[in-house]
Amino acid sequence: MRQPDGSSSVLTTKVDAMLGWVRKNSLWPLPFGTACCAIEFMSVVSAHYDLARFGAEVVRFSPRQSDLMIVAGTITDKMAPVVKKIYGQMAEPKYVISMGACACTGGFYRAYHVVQGVDELVPVDVYVPGCPPTPEALMHGVLKLQDMIQRGETHYDRLKREHRASTA
Amino acid sequence: MTRNPSTVNVDQPESSLADRSHLLPIFNGLAVTLRHFLRNLFGQRDVATIQYPEVKRQYSERLRGRHILTTKDDGSLRCVACYMCETVCPADCIHIVAEEDPNATVEWEKKPLVFEIDLLRCVFCGYCVDACPKQALIMSREHEMAFTTRAEAVVGIEQLRQKGPIEEQDLGYRPYY
Amino acid sequence: MTVSSANTELPLRDLLPGGADLKIEEASDGHAVITVDRTRLLGVLEALRDRPELKCNLLADVCGVDYPDREDRFEVVYHLASLEHLHRFRVKVPVAEGDAVVPSAYGVYKAADWFEREAYDMFGIRFEGHPNLKRILTHDAFQGHPLRKDYDPGQRWFLTDAETMVPEWATATSEDDDQFETQVLNLGPSHPATHGTLRTVVRLDGEVITRAECEIGYLHRCFEKMSETHGWQQVIPYTDRLNYCSSMMNGVGYALAAEHMLGVEAPPRAQVVRVILSELSRVMDHCVCLGANLVDLGALTNFWYFFQPREEIYGLLEACAGGRLTVSYARIGGLAHDVPADFVERVRFLLGYIPKFIDDVDKLVTRNRIFRDRTEGVGVISGEEALAWGWTGPCLRASGVPYDVRRAWPYMGYQDYDFEVPVATTGDTYARYLVRMEEMRQSLRIVEQALERLPDGPVITDNHHVALPPKSKVYSEMESLIWHFKLIYEGIKIPAGDGYFFTEGANGELGYYLVSDGGGKPYRIKVRPPCFAVFQTYPHMLVGHMVADSIAIMGSLNIIAGELDR
Repeated sequence: MRQPDGSSSVLTTKVDAMLGWVRKNSLWPLPFGTACCAIEFMSVVSAHYDLARFGAEVVRFSPRQSDLMIVAGTITDKMAPVVKKIYGQMAEPKYVISMGACACTGGFYRAYHVVQGVDELVPVDVYVPGCPPTPEALMHGVLKLQDMIQRGETHYDRLKREHRASTA
Repeated sequence: MTRNPSTVNVDQPESSLADRSHLLPIFNGLAVTLRHFLRNLFGQRDVATIQYPEVKRQYSERLRGRHILTTKDDGSLRCVACYMCETVCPADCIHIVAEEDPNATVEWEKKPLVFEIDLLRCVFCGYCVDACPKQALIMSREHEMAFTTRAEAVVGIEQLRQKGPIEEQDLGYRPYY
Repeated sequence: MTVSSANTELPLRDLLPGGADLKIEEASDGHAVITVDRTRLLGVLEALRDRPELKCNLLADVCGVDYPDREDRFEVVYHLASLEHLHRFRVKVPVAEGDAVVPSAYGVYKAADWFEREAYDMFGIRFEGHPNLKRILTHDAFQGHPLRKDYDPGQRWFLTDAETMVPEWATATSEDDDQFETQVLNLGPSHPATHGTLRTVVRLDGEVITRAECEIGYLHRCFEKMSETHGWQQVIPYTDRLNYCSSMMNGVGYALAAEHMLGVEAPPRAQVVRVILSELSRVMDHCVCLGANLVDLGALTNFWYFFQPREEIYGLLEACAGGRLTVSYARIGGLAHDVPADFVERVRFLLGYIPKFIDDVDKLVTRNRIFRDRTEGVGVISGEEALAWGWTGPCLRASGVPYDVRRAWPYMGYQDYDFEVPVATTGDTYARYLVRMEEMRQSLRIVEQALERLPDGPVITDNHHVALPPKSKVYSEMESLIWHFKLIYEGIKIPAGDGYFFTEGANGELGYYLVSDGGGKPYRIKVRPPCFAVFQTYPHMLVGHMVADSIAIMGSLNIIAGELDR
């Protein structure tokens, strides 16, 4: 239900808030783990840190069943089409966390086969620095993403607003 | 040099009937998992999980975290823009532009006009701290940094500058000897 | 030079065909270096393999080196080892740029398979007679040969099609005897059980695999090119990311190699600490290998149990070095800095803590019928076959060959430690699991002994051409400040020459072939990754097994992509 001037009504923002709350607390990650950061991601889902406490209970390797892609590790030019394909296969709403220096910017691999940041391929919501980031750093990144989802500041939310504005 | 090292043969014998019937191994296995379960249930202190973010694990004082540019007593940076950290950085993530210090003494002739570290390129190897001859660059224990854009991660002098007395900082990797 | 063995003391020249004309010399790393023309290469390799006095049963490495200033621009270097007589050989074949063709050694040693493909990919040297000479590490749209000296390190090529590697046999339809069509299945590279970046294309007849081919290179991070653009000391963080499950061991192996070439030795305290942390890293690596293998088979609990020891070892590494996973603790000449004051107590705690978890997993898994049914008889390889393919490490020891570098060519004082090398005879996935479990216990035995003999003293050499001087002196003395500046700006200068140095990594023989031109940056570093030789056998091992077995086999081989693709 939209107001005549195009802004959201109270009911719609409440629905948005509820959807945000629901989505942020049930993020199912797709660990696109290639390198060392994947091992640190394994530590995060292990008993010591346990990402499942934040709702990421089910780590799904199938893009059709997940909504958060955590790119953990270096992405090479050979792997680039695979990343794009997997991202394309995910259903919306979908979010991307880029974990580690290699995924964010290519790290110290300024080389002939390394993609200088996965944001060349997919839109990234949160960048987590570190090589590899400590498990707390990754969880901090996930919590930051949860805040962004609640406030509607992710790439998906922006695209949704633009889509609504263009079809209004 | 040994061409026949002392070895231990780890071959297991064939499965016995008891093992193949699988009843006893089921109970043995459940005993192991139940022991862990009951210990966690009734002895909360043994639970392995750290309840982040309410509880944070204490890292050592050598953790290579976010960098700090240290200051002298009068508040000015100790950095003399000698470019050693920039040279030794394997990731080329430090960018320095030097300028002359108007209050120059022999020991602190230059100072940095621009000192930027791209935290998303940095691999936190600590070589810059090892290279600094003035103990101007050290690392703290802050490792929880998440950014929403790449530009946000390029931190300059104001963000790197030491904020408060050094004893109260959460110090990490710094020169030891 | 003579080659001594039980039977004879003959000069090497007499044992090789055309030996009178060959250039043979002894290198400082203990290898006999034979420079041979490509027309006589296969004869020399066959003599090295077949003559009973030489008996080189392991081809460790084949690589190329680019010398643009020489008339024969490329040099193909073969490293061979005789595990029976404990000799090592280096065979060098110079080839000119315009005619860079060398006969393939695949017919003599199957281990040359992927190594030659890599030399072709990186340098453009063609190997005549190779069954499948295609690019292996870079992608299909890549142009040029990246490790040549005139290739710009930052020159990238974009790949747009996700399925470029489709083998010809995969597109041709074929029918089996029952007139049913076979199916081609793609496993990976984004697959939970392929450890991230390994891709296998299999032809299936029902559930049984009739043909397979692997594609690697999805994590080719150009370690060797990066090492040519950074100084000797700056390569150490790169080595951490090779076998990232046990990163300390790669750094120690590299530092040992550089120290050999410099003629510098790390102080005794540094050596013992390196042994302790290397063995704990070996335990860590086996934990994650077995944990991941068991997860792929469905046994998730063991993964959680194995990660607890890893977390505790991380705590120790983080207290020593500042990083959990990528430690960068080794330096050329010793260690970066001394261990913390409570090091001994922490290691003792670990020695009591870790065996409980190994025992727990042992109770859950070792005699478990489901696990045994899934792993016994799966992925069987005999000792001779494994050696022919260049296998080393726990996978080779599970096939009955008791080769452990720590016993065969001891380093860092391993000859003084009392431990046993676990060996199994069946050569299947179950045997590899058993060998790794026992190796963890033996590693803890070594740590206990090393802890007893931990001496006091410095942890880095005081040779200031190699190691940074202590900071207290840098702040106060002019001379130390000058050494510090020179080391940072110019780097360590290793005298010109080459050498192949190897240690027992968690997966097997981890070798570094270093070539120096006397400057501050390495001229060439070739890493001999243990799982590269192991994984090239994998497509051949799969034939006749079912798809589910392929997952069990891959997990047991412990393929770490960082090491495989570099």
